[in-house]
Amino acid sequence: MIKFIPFVWRNLMRNPLRSMLTGGAIMLALAMVCVLRTAPEGFDRFLDNLAKNSRISIHNTAGIVYGMPYAYLARIKAVPGVVGAVSWSWFGGAVDRDKGVTFPNFAVDADAIGVVFEDLGIEPAAIEHFRSHRDGALVGRMTMQRQGWKPGDEITLVGMVYPVDLSFRISGEIPAEQDPRFWFHRTYLEEALRAQGIPSDQVGMIWARIDQAELVPGVMKQIDDMFRNSEAETESETEKSFFQNFFSLLQGFIVVFLIVSWLVAGCIVFIAANTASMAVRERMRELAVLKAIGFRWRLLFTTLLGEAALLATVAGALGALLSLALTRALATQAAMTPTMGPLAGFVVTNWMLVEALFLAFFIGILSGVVPSFGGARRSVATTLREVF
Amino acid sequence: MIELRNVSRFYRRGADDVHALENVSLEIPAGRFVALMGPSGSGKTTLLNMLAGLDRPSDGQISVAGRKLNDLSEDELAAFRAGHMGFVFQFFNLIPVFSARENVELPLLLTRLEKAERRQRAETALRIVGLAGRASHMPAQLSGGEQQRVAIARAIVTDPEIVVGDEPTGDLDAKNAEEVLGLLRTLKREFGKTVVIATHDPRAERYVDEVLLVDKGVFMGSRPGATGASPVSGTAR
Repeated sequence: MIKFIPFVWRNLMRNPLRSMLTGGAIMLALAMVCVLRTAPEGFDRFLDNLAKNSRISIHNTAGIVYGMPYAYLARIKAVPGVVGAVSWSWFGGAVDRDKGVTFPNFAVDADAIGVVFEDLGIEPAAIEHFRSHRDGALVGRMTMQRQGWKPGDEITLVGMVYPVDLSFRISGEIPAEQDPRFWFHRTYLEEALRAQGIPSDQVGMIWARIDQAELVPGVMKQIDDMFRNSEAETESETEKSFFQNFFSLLQGFIVVFLIVSWLVAGCIVFIAANTASMAVRERMRELAVLKAIGFRWRLLFTTLLGEAALLATVAGALGALLSLALTRALATQAAMTPTMGPLAGFVVTNWMLVEALFLAFFIGILSGVVPSFGGARRSVATTLREVF
Repeated sequence: MIELRNVSRFYRRGADDVHALENVSLEIPAGRFVALMGPSGSGKTTLLNMLAGLDRPSDGQISVAGRKLNDLSEDELAAFRAGHMGFVFQFFNLIPVFSARENVELPLLLTRLEKAERRQRAETALRIVGLAGRASHMPAQLSGGEQQRVAIARAIVTDPEIVVGDEPTGDLDAKNAEEVLGLLRTLKREFGKTVVIATHDPRAERYVDEVLLVDKGVFMGSRPGATGASPVSGTAR
């Protein structure tokens, strides 16, 4: 069959514009399917990672944009089973005022950060440096790489929310590949704000690590009960649940997108089938001649089907590569937009690329089988009678 | 030797049966150049398709080169055609995306020959038809006469015993038609091929050994061509 590959390829290229347009449609559809397929897996991966720890978030029951008194932190730390807790407050600092906030930056409690986020694998030396320097900062690897920073660098964040600019010395890296976060001392922000006469007794949320996973539900209930009927009632969630809720709306959209993408893939089968039909119809005379000179119908069927499959597979491969580029672009975008954080984990895996190639091949076969069979099985004498 | 015994062919058209051929019996000895002639719709192309193994008779027996075509399956017929027959059609039907040599090489793709051997044989066939220098030209770069000669090269590249042509001069001007008929006669004379063509072209009579007359699906008899060879035997009405 190998000797027929040039035969198939040359036939495929006899109408390059048509092949390119059909291939382009298949390529875009496959790229879309691949990109959208990364979403559920990306969310799952993100949430599964979170599920491995026994960290909980505590925030105002009215929503995460509402603060809570800083005093809650000490009371939460005192709950049995809580190993450590840190407050988190959004600073909204930017490297360049014109570009705005390009990575999420939070004021945190330095003392317990290593305990609460021990699963992140931050080097002890970096944590120690962070603890002991009031202007220290821990920075996610993605932001480090994007900004070209390294430990020891001195940088300044311009306050986009608060009227203070803060200078930092980078203590070390948060070594997660796609981590964009930037952490610095809460006390450092507090002092700066106090100097401006701005009170800072509120925190955005509190993260606490529980000693054992089985204690988590009880501790969460105890915390929420503790602040019931207070000025800021709390809602505790596991980290997984927190992000699950945070992105639940997006997940709904993704299901819709996935359905649409499969429908598009279905449409592409019909578009490609139409192209294959046109290609076969135009060549009925040639096919009759080839059969006359001894080409068996199965061979013709295989070569015609091969054309459709080859076109779809090549287009599918290009579509898969395009999806790689798109997801990388999305990851970059996600690093700049804190609420899109998990998108950084939406990667086209090797397995998805293989699946895309098989899907493209399948589209080719499905679209080509009927016209190829019809063309190859047609009687030579009948065709010759009709076309000559 | 091509032998037809009481061959009939009916087509169903709506509620009617169309008798394209009726009870035709004839023998064409090996190494003859024969023209099937008759008015349009007389059944000469149907007769040509029958003896070439492109169509099956409704009734009767066809035997070509010692094989009974009636007994062959579709695949066996395809293999038979690939090994024993060469075809020339009115509209050349070269594949436009292949060069002249690649078009000629097509039937050899069905053999076990190596690429170099296929190429060499295709070039030899092109040399026979006088187109050695046009091997790498695409069909669109060739004149009608040249395209038909490429088609003839494709028909003979497997060295078949029989070459059949359906109106091989039908789309050619006078000069090219004479050249193609001369070439077909050369195939018979110098290479011993049996050549059978269906044609309207009266010029063909000057090149063939025998003219077989067909009308309304019936074999009407034969008359010698200009070469004056002994007549084809057959049962005429």
